[in-house]
Amino acid sequence: MTVGPALSDDATVEVSSVSKWFGQKVAVSDVTCSFGPGITGLLGPNGAGKTTLLRLLCGLLEPSDGSVRIHGVDPRRRPSVYARVALVPEEAAVYGFQTARQFVTYAADLSGADRSGVDEAISSVALDDDADRPISEFSKGMRQRAKVAAALVGRPDVLVLDEPLNGTDPVQRAHLIEMFRTFAAEGRTVIVSSHVLAEVERMADRVLAIVDGKLAAAGDVAAIRSAMSDIPYRVRIGADEPRRLGARLLVGGHASSIEVDHGGLVVETTDLTDLGMAIPPLAQELDLRLTSFEPQDESLESVFRYLVRR
Amino acid sequence: MRAYLAIVRVTLQQLLGGKRVLGLGSIALLPTLVMVLVTRDVSARAAYIEFHDAPLVILFLLALPIVALIFGAAALGDERREGTLSFLVTRPIPRSVIVAGKLTASWLATFVVLGSAAAVAGVVLFTTADTWSPLWALLVAAAVGAAAYTAVFLVLGHVTSRAVLIGLAYLFIWESGLTFAADSLGNVSLFRIALTAYAGIETAAIPLLQEPLASLTPGALGAAAKVVVISGLAVVAGATLLRRRDVT
Repeated sequence: MTVGPALSDDATVEVSSVSKWFGQKVAVSDVTCSFGPGITGLLGPNGAGKTTLLRLLCGLLEPSDGSVRIHGVDPRRRPSVYARVALVPEEAAVYGFQTARQFVTYAADLSGADRSGVDEAISSVALDDDADRPISEFSKGMRQRAKVAAALVGRPDVLVLDEPLNGTDPVQRAHLIEMFRTFAAEGRTVIVSSHVLAEVERMADRVLAIVDGKLAAAGDVAAIRSAMSDIPYRVRIGADEPRRLGARLLVGGHASSIEVDHGGLVVETTDLTDLGMAIPPLAQELDLRLTSFEPQDESLESVFRYLVRR
Repeated sequence: MRAYLAIVRVTLQQLLGGKRVLGLGSIALLPTLVMVLVTRDVSARAAYIEFHDAPLVILFLLALPIVALIFGAAALGDERREGTLSFLVTRPIPRSVIVAGKLTASWLATFVVLGSAAAVAGVVLFTTADTWSPLWALLVAAAVGAAAYTAVFLVLGHVTSRAVLIGLAYLFIWESGLTFAADSLGNVSLFRIALTAYAGIETAAIPLLQEPLASLTPGALGAAAKVVVISGLAVVAGATLLRRRDVT
């Protein structure tokens, strides 16, 4: 199902009916979407195909079917387009023996960018104090920032970031998000993948949700949230008299269905908060002893699978 | 040119920065050690003859290809294994520039190690055989041989993660076996390219190298021309592979 348009009006990156398979495994299946100025979040659980899609976008992988164009050009045929595109991959992709400054300078040399922009790029990710330390001594978050600096030094129009906030602390995260927002506000295209909805929500104006290699939903964050709002949740409640509790939950409209099992009951509801609020007073009123309250199926993956099924 | 030089510089740091240089340096000095052992207490002429037997063959048939194999295979292979290849190939530079930079760096790294060992061998030879002339031939042949071997092994290192194993099999089966068994295959032996370059400069050694040279004509320029062709083919093949293969 698609909540909103998967196509951007003023697209800089276009993906047309792209599929990618590795042997028998289909990693991306018939995806059509585009990306324009602003931040687009690519959201999906781990293993959904986000990284494969980003690598297809950047020309690191050849589509098994379909086509990718950046500024109207196939990046695998015309490397010159990389003067306008930068990738921050999720994996290491840094030279441990270099310092951050050497790494960013190397990126500038390879991109044909002015070396005078190196210090600015390093400052923009707040690595000034560590710029002359070997990257091998860096934490994961610092490596991420070094990679972002190397991507920014060429002043690309299109910035592709694969899980850029992985390993960063809350302060670094806030700083990077602010930086991506500034970058996007200058009219550039920023594509950010993440498996954390809250992260994407803070960054992106528009979201593409991908599950099992397929485009599951597209639109603004509010639309995605709304589409998720009626997802039924399953909660197991441990109680000494589950039948009495279940009956009251059904009558009170706090549950859409119940299954009683040994020592408790499994409740299905679309409003987890309401259920949580209703249980304590009911338990008190019925003089029940509650032993547990365990959501059974609230992972992001299950939420996305629900979207795909709809 | 700026990107090319940057790739050469960083690749040299990659190749020469680790501990493997010590191991490769030891292998490169093996011929000199053998030479010291076999030329003890012999006349200058005998030392000259002995050098052109085992030590020279070990230098160009064992030490040079092993060093070139390790550096050549690592030049692109390490980038793929360590995930930095995506950093390189998402730059606005032709793939041929990446491969040419990598090839130049692995050639220079091989020559730094082998050339140093060859220089040591030349100095030791001077002390025993009382002649400097083989030194220049050794350096030229090391440069020519290093270029030929690294060109082949660079492509191999990009194609497979088992490049070292396959490279060693190639050295023992092809270079040390088949091309010796069949004279007509000598033209396509990298070892003999280095040897013809050596013999082309150190002409006094030609009678001593009749067996390995077989029907090949000694000549440094001819050897250099072959290396240029091999290197060009390697750049084309490497660039084509970089364009076509997925970077996973």
